[in-house]
Amino acid sequence: MLKRLRYKLLHHLQLPESWLIFFIMGIIMMNFPFMSIFNKPETIFGFPLLFLYFFLGWPFSIFVIYLFTLTVGNTDDKHQEPR
Amino acid sequence: MKAGLVTITLISLIYTLLIFAVALFAHHRKEIGRSIIANPYVYSLTIAVYCTTWTFYGSVGRAATIGIDFLMIYLGPSLTAFSWFFLLRRIIQISKENNITSIADFISLRYGKSLWLGALVTLIAILGIMPYIALQIKAVSTTFYLISGLRNERIHIPQLDAELVLPIGLLLTMILSLFSVMFGARKLVSSERHEGLMAAVAFESLVKLLSMLTVGIFVTYYLFNGFTDIFSRFHKFDPELFSHLFTLGSTSNDLEYVPSFTMLFMSMSAIMLLPRQFHVMVIENSDERHITKAMWLFPAYMFLINLFVMPIALGGILTSGSSIGADFFVLSIPLDTGHDVIAIIAFLGGLSAAAGMVMVESVAISTMLLNHIFMPVIVRFTPQAWFPDLLINLKRLGIFMVIFLGYFYYRIVGESFMLVNMGMISFSAASQFLPAMLGGLYWRRGNKAGAITGILLGSIIWFYTLLIPSFIRSGWISAHLFKDGPFGIKLLKPTELFGMSGMDLWSHSLFWSMLFNISGYIICAIVIKQNERERDQLRKFMGAYESERGSRHAETKRLSKPVTITKFVNLMAKFIGEADAHQAIFNYIGDREIDASGNVSEFELPNLKRFTEKTLAGSVGAAAAGAIVDSFLSDMGSRMESVYDIFSTVRTSLDQSREALYVRLKASEIINRTLDLQIIMDDLLVLLLKEFKLDVAIIQICNADGTLVARSYQGSNRKPINQRHWFMESRPYYEMTLQDCRAHFVNDTKLAGTTVDFGLTIAEGIVSCAYIPILREGEPAIGVMSVFSKSFTGLFTEEFISLLASLTGQLAQAITIVREMEAKERERSEKEEAQLQHARVLRDMEIAQQIQISLLPDTAPQLSGIDLSGRCISAAHVGGDYYDFFQYDENSVDMLIADVSGHSVGAALIMSEVRTLLRAQVTSGLNVSTILHTLNNQLYEDLTRAELFITMFYAKYNSATGRLSFANAGHNHPIIRRTNEAACIDLDAEGLILGVKKSVVFEERVVELQKGDIVLFYTDGLNEATNPEGDMFGTFRICNMMGDVSHLPAIEIVDTFYNAVTEFIGSNTLQDDISIVVLKIL
Repeated sequence: MLKRLRYKLLHHLQLPESWLIFFIMGIIMMNFPFMSIFNKPETIFGFPLLFLYFFLGWPFSIFVIYLFTLTVGNTDDKHQEPR
Repeated sequence: MKAGLVTITLISLIYTLLIFAVALFAHHRKEIGRSIIANPYVYSLTIAVYCTTWTFYGSVGRAATIGIDFLMIYLGPSLTAFSWFFLLRRIIQISKENNITSIADFISLRYGKSLWLGALVTLIAILGIMPYIALQIKAVSTTFYLISGLRNERIHIPQLDAELVLPIGLLLTMILSLFSVMFGARKLVSSERHEGLMAAVAFESLVKLLSMLTVGIFVTYYLFNGFTDIFSRFHKFDPELFSHLFTLGSTSNDLEYVPSFTMLFMSMSAIMLLPRQFHVMVIENSDERHITKAMWLFPAYMFLINLFVMPIALGGILTSGSSIGADFFVLSIPLDTGHDVIAIIAFLGGLSAAAGMVMVESVAISTMLLNHIFMPVIVRFTPQAWFPDLLINLKRLGIFMVIFLGYFYYRIVGESFMLVNMGMISFSAASQFLPAMLGGLYWRRGNKAGAITGILLGSIIWFYTLLIPSFIRSGWISAHLFKDGPFGIKLLKPTELFGMSGMDLWSHSLFWSMLFNISGYIICAIVIKQNERERDQLRKFMGAYESERGSRHAETKRLSKPVTITKFVNLMAKFIGEADAHQAIFNYIGDREIDASGNVSEFELPNLKRFTEKTLAGSVGAAAAGAIVDSFLSDMGSRMESVYDIFSTVRTSLDQSREALYVRLKASEIINRTLDLQIIMDDLLVLLLKEFKLDVAIIQICNADGTLVARSYQGSNRKPINQRHWFMESRPYYEMTLQDCRAHFVNDTKLAGTTVDFGLTIAEGIVSCAYIPILREGEPAIGVMSVFSKSFTGLFTEEFISLLASLTGQLAQAITIVREMEAKERERSEKEEAQLQHARVLRDMEIAQQIQISLLPDTAPQLSGIDLSGRCISAAHVGGDYYDFFQYDENSVDMLIADVSGHSVGAALIMSEVRTLLRAQVTSGLNVSTILHTLNNQLYEDLTRAELFITMFYAKYNSATGRLSFANAGHNHPIIRRTNEAACIDLDAEGLILGVKKSVVFEERVVELQKGDIVLFYTDGLNEATNPEGDMFGTFRICNMMGDVSHLPAIEIVDTFYNAVTEFIGSNTLQDDISIVVLKIL
């Protein structure tokens, strides 16, 4: 089950367009209307909301790039073999 | 407690030596071919040169005063990293392909190797980077004062009772400059990677990360109890500040407030466009595949280095009580709490951050400075042998200059700005390259005019709205400008341009500069057309991906005058040194074809030129390299000129253009339509003339003896071809073409004059011509097709020649087929003729044979007392044997047997002559010797003339007396067989062969025949008949046989002999005629 999910995820990430989607999503999530959701002086478990948003969202985005490069790296290797 | 001046100086020194050692080690490893730099982790660490003291100290400072929006500076690059896989990879591919040395090089190359653009980008980069380097110097010198306990530059030395001025900033500047020179300007070739420098940078990145983490963990977990502890304590300490720091843009309308978007945008472009980022990411990239790892490693690095910024900032405020001096909390917290070791670690981290940045930045900028400011001036002079030295020293000078500019900015502006804000000025400058860069990569219309206009306008706005105000703030320029605008025009106030107020300094500047920049770029790109040079470069840039798919760059330029390899090498040697130049050309030539004199083919020359440019570009930048090679060529009297594009439509990769395909199709139609060579050749030439705007075309085909003969001549003003025709001037080319079976061409007849005299040809108006061998693959040429143009020089491109060659190939095929068919036809008719002739001769021979046979007596005369019979079988159809009987009365008969030498018709004719002569004589009743004598006299002339001889035996028998008188002219002796005798009797008489001598006396003998005697007259065909074993029939066998057949009638004896001979010779054929006459006495 987990394997299938992983496969599916990687498969979808393989699309070259996916980076553009993430890129645009990232810009949206770091700008005015979206940001205002978290731009509040509140704390969750003692952490300020915006701090939490950045420091959880950021590693998540890095993880997404990581997955993306993983699939791209794989296809890259495959492309190189027949050469 | 402070660490003390001496201690900290020592530690700094040791640390500097350590970095030096790392750099040396990496350099050494590279020398032995085992680079430690060429891996994605080191690559990611070098990209982290992005994190300077701005990050290390400034982030905390900003976090403590403005709040969490400092993160935007790192989230931006993190976002940009998404695009690296395509954007960065493409930039790297293009850069490697063209030996790009810097971002200025890259931009100027894209826009037609523009010298102006390169210089402009360089100038902006220098100005833009000035505050950034100042920031580093400020951070390091401030922290040095902090940690060493000094308050200013003056050190009181108690022993001497004097004060020593210790300008830390200046010292640091000196040290950094030296270090950068050592590792960044070791060699001139800037497109080469600096392994030592990169190792040092990577190491420093590691140190600053570890140092930051150490301080972070120390503050968060040692001084406080983790994140939540700091947050809750701070919340209690100052709830208002807490909410201010953890929200964006909520309160302040301060000048220092930068909306998050501005920061995000600027940092997103800065990560790609700052000269040092471009340098480490593109120029120092050793392998494209490292990008994928760096895409997440670098953001992860930034995440880690920023993780503790907020806690340190809050912790700093908590421990010191306010945010004053927040820029250096990283250092001051450990110092104030008395943890010197942590403080030293923090100091080293900051030093690393500053040193790494300054070194890479200065190397990158000095390269730009050399290539785009110095080089355009230098290339105007004739290259000299000492140029390489000059260039490398200029580069070193550039490094010093860049760092010292930063130092001066620091002295002027330093104290009035916070660290982050100084950095923002640089970011904003770098953003000005964004439109030209992205447009250059993805917009085909983007042109030089647009790029220059955009960058110029944008940077003027930047200069006016950001750099000038920074000077004003420091008091260096009168604040009057600030308040009232220049000349009192309020609309032009630097901070409120055109009355746009209420915006922070950075957003305001970014808005206006980008507006002017982008619109300038786009408007010029649309209004002004690209020149040819730009289009050329555009193909390289846009075609970077296409070339991966195996397409070939089609040559559209050629050198008007050939230049030898040596000349190019000499040129290169003047800029990059002899050894490097030879190495480069050695690598280049490799598997390429060069002829005996060391020259490359004309088609190869543009490639060689491009290679020379590329090699030089590695050292002096693309724009300067282009200028150098161009001026070199113009000195040589040669220049690049457009090749007339024979295929006017756009080429599709390697495939033929539509025109070429059309021509091929037409040609094969012409060739297959008929077998008449003349029509094929005429039509083919007409097609060429029509399709390619050629003026004259000639086909010459080799004759059987190897000389060329014009077989078809099409084109304007035809004249009869003779030796004085202009067309004969090309004879050396025809012969050369025939001999080496390769196409030859003259793309400008005026320039070919030295080798071949083209006087008449030029007078005729011919400007270019080509000679293509007519041959089938792997066979010798059978002719030459020549085409001449009066309108275009440089008409003959590689493609055109190969198209013509393919046409002549087809033609050769057709000619060969037609020739083969003709040869077959000829052979067949010859054979038929021969057969006919043979049949005719055969028929003649048959007639002759019939006549000959009819000349021989049908039957023997019937005389009482004798039985006579004769017969002749010819070996050939007509033979030279003859026998005859002449009967006078009932008692006497003449018999003769003769053999004319040879078996030709000639022999037969002589035989008939003999017969005629004899018939005339026999009636006269002469004796036998007289008959032969007369005959010899009569025949002598004819026989001598015909070179023939006759042997003859002549006998006269009288049955009444039984006497046989005879004479012999060298004939076989007839044989007599008597019934009672076992042996045979030869009949012999003296006499010479007829036709040997004029007058011969023949002996006449007489023999008396008895009853039962058999006399056999024969020709040599009988006794000389040979069986397959080589035995002859022989007289002995004849004699024996006569004994056996004596009882038979004469005619049967004859038959028996024939049968015996036929049986004897077996499978052999008769070599000679056989004539037998048998006389039996009854």
